[in-house]
Amino acid sequence: MRGPTVYRTAGAIVLSLLSARGARGQAAPPEPRPVAEVRALIDAAGAGEVVRVPAGVYQGNLIVSKPVTLDGGAGAVFDGLGEGTVIEVRAEGVTIRGCTVRASGADVTSEPAGVRVLAGSATIESNIIEDTLFGVDLREAPDSVVRGNTITGKELEPGRRGDGVRLWWSHNCVIEGNTVRGVRDMVFWYSENLRLTRNTVTDSRYGLHFMYSHDTTLEDNRLSHNSVGVYLMYSHRISLIGNSMLNNRGASGYGVGLKDCDDIVIRRNALLANRVGVYVDNSPSSIGSSGLFESNTIAFNEIGLLATPNTHENVFTGNAFIENEEGAATHGRGRLASNAFARAGVGNYWSDYAGFDLDADGIGDLAHEPRSLFGAMLANEPNLRLFVHSPAQQAIEFTGRALPELRPESVLVDPSPLALPPTIGTAAAGPGADGVRMAVVAAVLLSMAGACVLGMGIERGLPAAKSGGRS
Amino acid sequence: MSTAHAHAGPDTFPAAPSLLGGIGRFALREFRDALASKWFLLYTIAFTVLAVGVSFLSLSGIGSHGFAGFGRTAAGLLNLIMLVVPLMALTAGAGSIAGERERGTLLYLLAQPVSRTQVLLGKYLGLAIALVCSLCIGFGVSAGMLAWRTGGVGVGSYAMLVGLTALLALAMLSVGVLISVTSRRTAVATGAALFAWLTLVFLSDLGLMAGSVLFKLRVQEIFGLASANPLQSFKMAVIVSMNASLDVLGPVGAYASHTLGGALPLVLTASLVTWATVPLAAAVVLFARRGSV
Repeated sequence: MRGPTVYRTAGAIVLSLLSARGARGQAAPPEPRPVAEVRALIDAAGAGEVVRVPAGVYQGNLIVSKPVTLDGGAGAVFDGLGEGTVIEVRAEGVTIRGCTVRASGADVTSEPAGVRVLAGSATIESNIIEDTLFGVDLREAPDSVVRGNTITGKELEPGRRGDGVRLWWSHNCVIEGNTVRGVRDMVFWYSENLRLTRNTVTDSRYGLHFMYSHDTTLEDNRLSHNSVGVYLMYSHRISLIGNSMLNNRGASGYGVGLKDCDDIVIRRNALLANRVGVYVDNSPSSIGSSGLFESNTIAFNEIGLLATPNTHENVFTGNAFIENEEGAATHGRGRLASNAFARAGVGNYWSDYAGFDLDADGIGDLAHEPRSLFGAMLANEPNLRLFVHSPAQQAIEFTGRALPELRPESVLVDPSPLALPPTIGTAAAGPGADGVRMAVVAAVLLSMAGACVLGMGIERGLPAAKSGGRS
Repeated sequence: MSTAHAHAGPDTFPAAPSLLGGIGRFALREFRDALASKWFLLYTIAFTVLAVGVSFLSLSGIGSHGFAGFGRTAAGLLNLIMLVVPLMALTAGAGSIAGERERGTLLYLLAQPVSRTQVLLGKYLGLAIALVCSLCIGFGVSAGMLAWRTGGVGVGSYAMLVGLTALLALAMLSVGVLISVTSRRTAVATGAALFAWLTLVFLSDLGLMAGSVLFKLRVQEIFGLASANPLQSFKMAVIVSMNASLDVLGPVGAYASHTLGGALPLVLTASLVTWATVPLAAAVVLFARRGSV
C-alpha cells in the first residue's frame, strides 16, 4: 500500500535518522588491503581447494584462473574502486561464495561487472554485489549456478544502467533465490534449458528478459515496480508458472510481454496492478504453434489483456480477470477473434460479466462479449484516459449501450464464462491492524458529526419554535 | 452562544455583536435550520446507503486478494461522490439566500444590527458544517463496515478521501451560494444550481473530450483545462493520494506526474481551494451591493 507522499517522506526521514545512528555505533572500518593478497592465496592453493579469504576490504581487480572455491565467509569485501570488472573468472569450476563485491567501473562501452564468468560450471552463491554496472555476467559459461545473491545496481538513470544478471550463450544454468534491485534487466541471451526460480526483481527496467532463449521454466519469481515484469522476445517453449508480477507500470508497463514467441505456457501466475497484465505481440508467430494461458489471476490492471490484432491461436482458460479497468483490448483496431477464450467448455471469470447462471453449473448461460464505447474511444485517443473514473465516462458507456448504432464490436467472445472466480484463495482473514485503525476512523468521523449535531443543533431550554424551516 | 439564549429566541439580536460573533450566530441558526429540514436527512441517508453499498462491493473484489488495487468498484466510490456531493452542496447553497428572499425573511435578517457580509458568511458556515456532518456520517458508517470486514482500503488514503470530499463540498457550496445571491426566487436558483451541476459533472468533461479530439489539444493543455474543473481536480487529487502518481490516467496523467512531481497534490488542492473561496468572495461583494433586492 502506498500512502500519500507526505507519509512516505516522513518515513524516509525517520529511516535515515535511524540508519545514521546505526552507522555512528559501528567500529571504524578496517584498513583496506591490496587484492594481490587474495591472488597470492589462490596461487598457493591447489586446484579444487577452498580458499578462505580473511575478513577485510581488498582493493583492485581480481582474476581467478584456477578452479578453486573462494569463500569470503561473509566478511571479505572486494572493492573495484570504480575501475573495470571487480572479479573475473577464467577457469572452469570456480565457486565464489559469501563475498561482498562492490564499485565496478561505470563505462557502459566496456561493460564492467561485479563478477564476470568466462568459463563453465561456475557457482556464484550468497554474495552481496552492489554499486556495479553489471552484477553477474555469464559469457559462454554453461552449467553454472547463480544462487542467493543480493544485487543492487549503480545509481544511474535507467538508460545507462547495466544488467543485474546477464547470461550470454550459457545453457543449462540455474538462477535461483536472487534479489535484484535498481538495474536494467535480468537478461538471458541465446541460453537454453535454464531453471529460474524464486528470484525477486524490483525497481528495474525488465524484471526477466529473454532474447532468443528457449526451453526454460520460470517458477515462483516475483517481479514488482519494474517497467515490465517478464518480457519474452523471440524465445520459444517457455513456461511461466506461479510467478507474481505486481505494479509494473513503466513506459511499457506489462506484467508479462510476449513478442514473437511460440508455444508459451503461462499458468497460475498473479498479474496485479500493472499497467497491462498480459501483452501479446504476434505470438505465436509460426504456423502450427500455440500459446496457453491457464488459471492466472489478472486483476486491478488498467488493461487485463492487450494484444496486437494479428495475435491468434492462443487459448485462455480458467483465468480470473478481476476489476481491470478494461478486461481485454486490442492494440489499435481489430478483434481477438482467432484466439479461443474457452477450452473444453471452460472459459474464464470476468468480474464485469453481465450474464447469469440459471442452471448453476458454474458456467454463465450467456457468452461474455464485452463492448465498451469508452474503451473503443481510448484505443484511438489515449489522452482521453484522463477521464476514467468520472461520471462522464459512465455517461459515454451508457450511450454506447442505449444507442445500437454507436455500440462498438466486442473485442472477444468467451462462450462459457465462469460464474465464480476459479483459483482465488481467501487471503483475507480476521480484522488486522488496518481494521482496528479503520474502526478508529469510523469512531472519529461519527463522533465529530454527533458532537456537532448534539452540541449545536439542539436548542436547549427554548421552545421548538423554529425560524422559517426550509424543506 | 449562551448570551443569545439568555436574552430571547434565536433570531433576535439584542446588541451589535462582533464580526465573528455575528457570523457565529447566523451559522448556528442556519445549522439548526438545516438539521430540521428534510434535505439534510434525505441527503445523509442517501449518501450513507450508497457509500456503504459501494464500499461493500469494492471489498468483495479487493479483500479476497489482500491486495489494494484501485479497481473498478473502488473507483465506484469516487464516481458516487462526484455525482452526489456536488448535487447536495450546490442545491443547499442555492436555497440559502434565495429562499429567505422569497419568503420575505431576508429583509428581517438584514434589519438586524449585523452586516450583510456577516449574514452571508454565517449562512455559508452553517451550511458547510451541516454538509460536513452529513459526509462524516456517510463516511463514518462505511468506515465502520470496512473495519468490520477487514479494511482493504488504506486508512491514510481513506482519511485523504474524506478530507478532499469535504473540500469539494465547500467548493460546490460556494458556487451554490453565489447562484443564490444572484437569484430572486428559489426555483430559479435551484434550476441554475442543477444546470451548474450538469455542466461541472458531465458537460465540461464531454466538451473537453470532444475538444481534445477535434483540436488535437496537447497534453499540457488538456491537463490545464481539466484541472480547472473542481471535480476533475478532486478526482486527480484522490488518485494521487492512493497511487502516489497519476500514471493510471494515461499520457495526460503521466505528463502531470512527471512535470509537477511533488507539487501535483498542491496544485490540485489549490484548484479546489480557489473554487471554495473565489465564488464566495464574489457572492459577498454582490450581496453587499444588491442586498435584499
